[in-house]
Amino acid sequence: MSAKILVVDDEPQIRRMMRATLTSSGYQVDEAKTGEEALEKLRAYQPDLILLDLNMPGMGGLEACRFMRDGSDVPIIILTVRNAEKEKVEALDAGADDYVSKPFGMQELLARIRAALRRMPGAEGGPRGFTSRDLQIDFESRRVMVRDQSVRLTPKEFELLRHLVAHGGKPVPHRELLQAVWGPDYGNETDYLRVFINHLRKKIEPDPARPKYILTEPWVGYRFALPEEP
Amino acid sequence: MNRLWQTAIRIVVSLALVGAIVFVYKSILPANSVTVALTLVLAILWIAARWGYAESIVASVVGMLGLDYFFIPPVGQLTISDPENWAALAAFLVTAVTASELSVRARRREAESIARRQEVERLYALGQTLLLSSNVHTAARDIVNSIIRTFEISGAVLFNQVTGEFYRSEGHTKISDDQLRRVAETGEPVTDSGLQTSIVPIRLGGQTTGSLGFVGSTLSSAARNALAHLVAIGIERARTIEETNQAEAARQSEVLKATLLDALAHDLKTPLTSIKGAVTHLLAKPREAEELELLTIANEEADRLNRLVVEVLEMARIEASKLHPDRARHHIADIIQATLKAQEEALQGRTIQLRLPDSLPAAEVDFEFIGQVLKQLLDNAINYSPPNAPLTISAHLEGERIVVTVADEGKGIPVDEQSKIFDKYYRGRAWREKVLGTGLGLSIAKGIVEAHGGKIWVTSAPGKGSMFSFAVPAVKSELVL
Repeated sequence: MSAKILVVDDEPQIRRMMRATLTSSGYQVDEAKTGEEALEKLRAYQPDLILLDLNMPGMGGLEACRFMRDGSDVPIIILTVRNAEKEKVEALDAGADDYVSKPFGMQELLARIRAALRRMPGAEGGPRGFTSRDLQIDFESRRVMVRDQSVRLTPKEFELLRHLVAHGGKPVPHRELLQAVWGPDYGNETDYLRVFINHLRKKIEPDPARPKYILTEPWVGYRFALPEEP
Repeated sequence: MNRLWQTAIRIVVSLALVGAIVFVYKSILPANSVTVALTLVLAILWIAARWGYAESIVASVVGMLGLDYFFIPPVGQLTISDPENWAALAAFLVTAVTASELSVRARRREAESIARRQEVERLYALGQTLLLSSNVHTAARDIVNSIIRTFEISGAVLFNQVTGEFYRSEGHTKISDDQLRRVAETGEPVTDSGLQTSIVPIRLGGQTTGSLGFVGSTLSSAARNALAHLVAIGIERARTIEETNQAEAARQSEVLKATLLDALAHDLKTPLTSIKGAVTHLLAKPREAEELELLTIANEEADRLNRLVVEVLEMARIEASKLHPDRARHHIADIIQATLKAQEEALQGRTIQLRLPDSLPAAEVDFEFIGQVLKQLLDNAINYSPPNAPLTISAHLEGERIVVTVADEGKGIPVDEQSKIFDKYYRGRAWREKVLGTGLGLSIAKGIVEAHGGKIWVTSAPGKGSMFSFAVPAVKSELVL
């Protein structure tokens, strides 16, 4: 059974083009013209993936994205004509999984759709958790405690943290992290890593400007520092 | 005339007072000469305190004569027999005159301090008026009017040397334009006590900006100078406000332009998205050579149109000063690495030499923007040098700045073009036909670097390649001093 994709865009020509190309690529497609309609369709149509335009009259894409995230883990790919870093960060912040700027090549979009639909394998193997004086991570229950306060991580942030902890003490290259968390077609999106690592640092580091857990390995990637044994 | 009459009347009254005292002690209340002398000194003090020096001197002399004639033996004569009485009379005169002088001086001090206080109050009132004007012309007119009103003088005139304009109070011509100009040029104040006019230069920060003339002035020179300074500040303030407003209006119109272009960019990109999506979808399927060629052209041109839209919009943002770098601590090495990764495809087959000192401090920059500058310099190096020529990227600390350089081994840039290549839409003569571009890339890079408070430049010799460099601030706390 082919995956169901909900295309949310206020431009009819774009919806037409997307319907034609996605259908021809083997997906089922439904459309929504506004953020409000998208929220309704999310319940009624139960899509496997949402392609969401940011710039729409009424409820914008960002707000719609936040509402969707409240009750759903459906992968969301933002499609937008704006390509400033700030907008990208905002979209990822709002809970989007990926970000494609318009205009885009269809092959690129299809690759991203495939990657987003590919479900992350569960917590098989790897560490069960991590515990230090001010940080506790439990991978099975997906709970993170920082200085005894519960911290909420998005699925991508959580995957990123898990991958880093699984290789605790060793540098993990950018490409490997991107492919582990986003999928095999990724590798050059170091800006994604920057955004998500920054988020993670803000959430778990005592001083995000001088991280002690998630360290940057210049030219290579990132490393999760295991605390020195006392 | 009036004054003379007044003094004459006062002298008569003073004489009458002295006469009355002499008469009372002579005919009604006989008393000895000491009592009479003391009473006379009292009267003379009162006269001095009330009226002034002339009146009290006349009263002293007449009082002394009366004392001598009526009370000091031999009575009825102006001669004095006993030398002791000579001393007494002299003592009386000296006491009367000295006391008068002291009393007059005290009175003058008081009058002066009242005048000063009044001047300060008036300067304050004028200062308030000046603060309310926001435009140079109304400020000058307000100044002239309020000087006349607050200082109660008959006329005033202001010469603004910067604009070359004169502002006169109504119907007064005692001070000529030439006089005002001369004072503004020489910077020396001029006073004409006959015409009761004075002209002072207006100075601000050691520079003369005009002159101010008064007619019927009773102002002290200190007050005149304070007034001139106040006026200078008032005019400067009005000028600054006016200039700021103009600059703000110009910026506003750039902001409006950027907003319009923003909307336009959105409207252009939306159809481009449909075209690009449709064409790339068709391209992904097996095609005959002819179809493939035509679809490829459509795809490339959609990309080109998009690039143009993006660059024009970015340029408009820079011109509207709407480019706000989000500056944070970043390592230049990370930015270079990210840029190289993003350019992997275009850089294939190139040797890239990196020269980065380990000790390089972090830079205080917007990661994305500086990445964009680097990308532009790399693009240029790739486009304007032979396909296999090596590129060099280096960075070093220079003072408080980090200088990043991208060097190629291409043909170089003719000297006369080096200053123009950062201009909007300028494209090198030799390349206009060969390399597709908008001529905006380097001016955008320049705008970004300047928004960071840095600068960008090129050194190039024809035949020896080009070196593009930009300098951005290093994180201060990481500088080893």
